Amino acid sequence: MAVETGDMMLVRVQRENFSVDQEIDRVRNRSTRIGGIATFLGTARDHSQGREVNSITFEYYEGMAQKKLREIRERALQDFDVIEVLILHRHGAIEIGENIVLIVVGAEHRADSFQACQWCIDELKRITPIWKLEQTPSGDVWVEEHP
Amino acid sequence: MNTVQVTVKMFGLLKTLAGHQHELSLELRQGSHVRDLMDLLHARYPQVGEMILNKQVLISINQEIAHQETEIHVNDEIALLPPFAGDCGSDE
Repeated sequence: MAVETGDMMLVRVQRENFSVDQEIDRVRNRSTRIGGIATFLGTARDHSQGREVNSITFEYYEGMAQKKLREIRERALQDFDVIEVLILHRHGAIEIGENIVLIVVGAEHRADSFQACQWCIDELKRITPIWKLEQTPSGDVWVEEHP
Repeated sequence: MNTVQVTVKMFGLLKTLAGHQHELSLELRQGSHVRDLMDLLHARYPQVGEMILNKQVLISINQEIAHQETEIHVNDEIALLPPFAGDCGSDE
């Protein structure tokens, strides 16, 4: 199957797991000017604020979440000296250790890719309507319920 | 008095507080603003209303964050947004 390389594939919210290598290649193949690729991979951990966590479920606002992620990608391309940006977030039930979120930034030089990558994940967490439900031994907890 | 029927999408903890409803169907006076919706929510769902008053919940209209003075029109897509997963001090 041919790998799609359109902009649609560079910002996604999807249930399925993803291949980090495949997503890095998606960015790498956008330009031969790329000389450095920075990535951030968020994974599901088994504890949160002192509580044991068995699994996590992510809920998102269909439409608005993708819109905010597209805005983040466009602002990163505009404000940093980078060549391509990919942002991917999963929704639904996620087991401990699995992938949750991936940012991939390709630039000519490493400093720009590192800076843009950090900005993208920080901004994603700040403005994207995605919510986390943690399944714990004492019941399900929305993250905002934590003290 | 002319009224408009609006649907309000609910997410996260707010769904639980509103009796496990994904959407609320509410009737507002024509020409109502977000602050009128806040008053109605506070009357019907006090816990949800408290979270809005404490600024723990954002209200979006047509997928943009709205303000108290924003006017609500028929067919607007309205949603109540509790704190996002990444903005609660958590970190993957």
